[in-house]
Amino acid sequence: MEIGPIYRALMRNRLGVILIAAQIAFTLTVIVNAVYIINDRGELMARPSGTDEANLFFINNIGYGDTYNEAVVSAEDLDMIRQLPGVTAATIINAIPVSGSGSSTGMATVAGRIEGVVPTAVYTVDEQALSTLGVELVAGRDFTATDVRYRNDSIARGDNEIIITVAMAEALFPGEGMQAVGRTIYDVNQNASVIIGLVARLQAPWPQSSFVENSMLIPEVYIDNSAIYLVRTEPGQRDRLMVEVEERLAASGHSRILRNNRSLEERRAESYRIDSAMSTILVAVIGTLMFITAMGIVGLAVFSINRRRKQIGTRRALGATRPDILRYFLLENLLISTVGVVAGAVLAIAFNLFLVQNFDMSRIDWYYAPAGMVVLLILGQLAVIGPAISATRISPALATRSI
Amino acid sequence: MLKMNQINKVFRTEVVETHALRNFSLHVQEGEFVTITGPSGCGKTTFLNLAGLLETFTSGQYVLDGEDVSRLGDYQRAKVRNEKIGFIFQSFNLMPDLNLFDNVDVPLRYRGMRAAERKLRIEKALDSVGLLSRKNHLPSQLSGGQQQRVAIARALVGEPRFLLADEPTGNLDSNTASGVMELLHEINAAGTTIIMVTHDPSLATQSHRNVHILDGQVQSDNTNHVKAA
Repeated sequence: MEIGPIYRALMRNRLGVILIAAQIAFTLTVIVNAVYIINDRGELMARPSGTDEANLFFINNIGYGDTYNEAVVSAEDLDMIRQLPGVTAATIINAIPVSGSGSSTGMATVAGRIEGVVPTAVYTVDEQALSTLGVELVAGRDFTATDVRYRNDSIARGDNEIIITVAMAEALFPGEGMQAVGRTIYDVNQNASVIIGLVARLQAPWPQSSFVENSMLIPEVYIDNSAIYLVRTEPGQRDRLMVEVEERLAASGHSRILRNNRSLEERRAESYRIDSAMSTILVAVIGTLMFITAMGIVGLAVFSINRRRKQIGTRRALGATRPDILRYFLLENLLISTVGVVAGAVLAIAFNLFLVQNFDMSRIDWYYAPAGMVVLLILGQLAVIGPAISATRISPALATRSI
Repeated sequence: MLKMNQINKVFRTEVVETHALRNFSLHVQEGEFVTITGPSGCGKTTFLNLAGLLETFTSGQYVLDGEDVSRLGDYQRAKVRNEKIGFIFQSFNLMPDLNLFDNVDVPLRYRGMRAAERKLRIEKALDSVGLLSRKNHLPSQLSGGQQQRVAIARALVGEPRFLLADEPTGNLDSNTASGVMELLHEINAAGTTIIMVTHDPSLATQSHRNVHILDGQVQSDNTNHVKAA
């Protein structure tokens, strides 16, 4: 191996080496953090909501006029929807999981206690909520029709029997979450709610919130001329039923406006649009940076080889085989890249610490920097291999030419 | 040591065929010091390139040190160059970014020799040309004559069977050239076969034989009566 002579020769031509090493270091710094952010967002976006998203859709119903009676219309509508072939279940609900819009409250284990209040999303639903959402009941019981209360502004919420997520139960009763059924918790108005069931998972409407896994289902239908019907279909029937349900509701003769007939998948994609766009932009930045770095390496290698054509010919004359010449340039690149990736790893960690301190990001996992180093070392070798192969084709007879 | 029989070297382009060497035959005995002379374009450099296995030829036979090297592949030719041939170039061809030690080390690295043995050989070679004390200097810190001495040390360090010298004094003043020639004579006296291409008629008389090339063929092959060393 010619590490010693190559290193000493590089040290006599520092500028090009420093520029390429700095470029590699910068690229590593950016890609390590960018890949981490992309993965972080990817994990965020990949979290299951706990519902049967692929087979769910919803539609907003807004009634108007003096003769419009929400309690009657919604009962008729749900009855009609539930009887449609291909519909598994349907419920009336105040908010859609992972939609970005909903209501929340804080719950505590002691009435009137401010400290230790657990924030949670609130879903008001009827007795078909669990079967419609497709959430898994892991303890306690489901709602029945008699549990459901219908109220409007003139009726206070009062005490309830509720179903909550396991995550929320754990937040309320650390270490005893699965034993939460039968226990009473209190909202900020000191209304008591008895936990009658636990569901494995049901995300809140706000995917970015710190309490996205905390959800509470209340068997309550709020009458205010506005309702959201959430419909679960058999697999493959969703798109057809979205059209049919809207047509039948529109044809029912009630004075109302139908809006936002959307699938949950579509709504979820919209909620994560910024994360998805950021990931796409970061992928483009990574690709561009890697391309520029690779081109920089190719440029330096080509310049270096053209400058040393006679030297390469002389080396060939003195006994270097083509693999020797190839190895020389790969090794030279490896040395330059190693300087770059070592500096880049330090910078990447420093930059991450800066992001942690200033932008509330989490620390990168330990393997990101070494993985990035390996990727850039491979990139460097791939970038230099073309020019290096061309160098192996330089004739040893060049040594005797006067150029 | 070197036997070239009926060598032809033709350079072809789409429109032109150039016969650089025509039915070229030359035998060089072990221990000889042979000079090759001839006008520009006569085929001296082509001969040197073929003798040094730097290029392949079109037809004919070339036996080097008892081995027919006519149809060796690129890899084998590189190995033969490395182990059996020492090169001295007109413009020295030292690596400007390497110090003298690393320059002389170049051919040994391609032989896969251990570091300790390489160090011994390099220091011995540099010592033989009087430049051991400057082993950490760069070529640019040396005079032309000193650089050619380094190139000679590099050619000798692998203990080749013969040296090919391409106008080794062409870029040197007369005093320095004289010193380099003395060194070559010493090397030859120690048993190394030397073939030297030169333009200088006076240098041609200092060898055992002078082969004059014209139009790619041996025009004359004269034994010099002056003792080479």
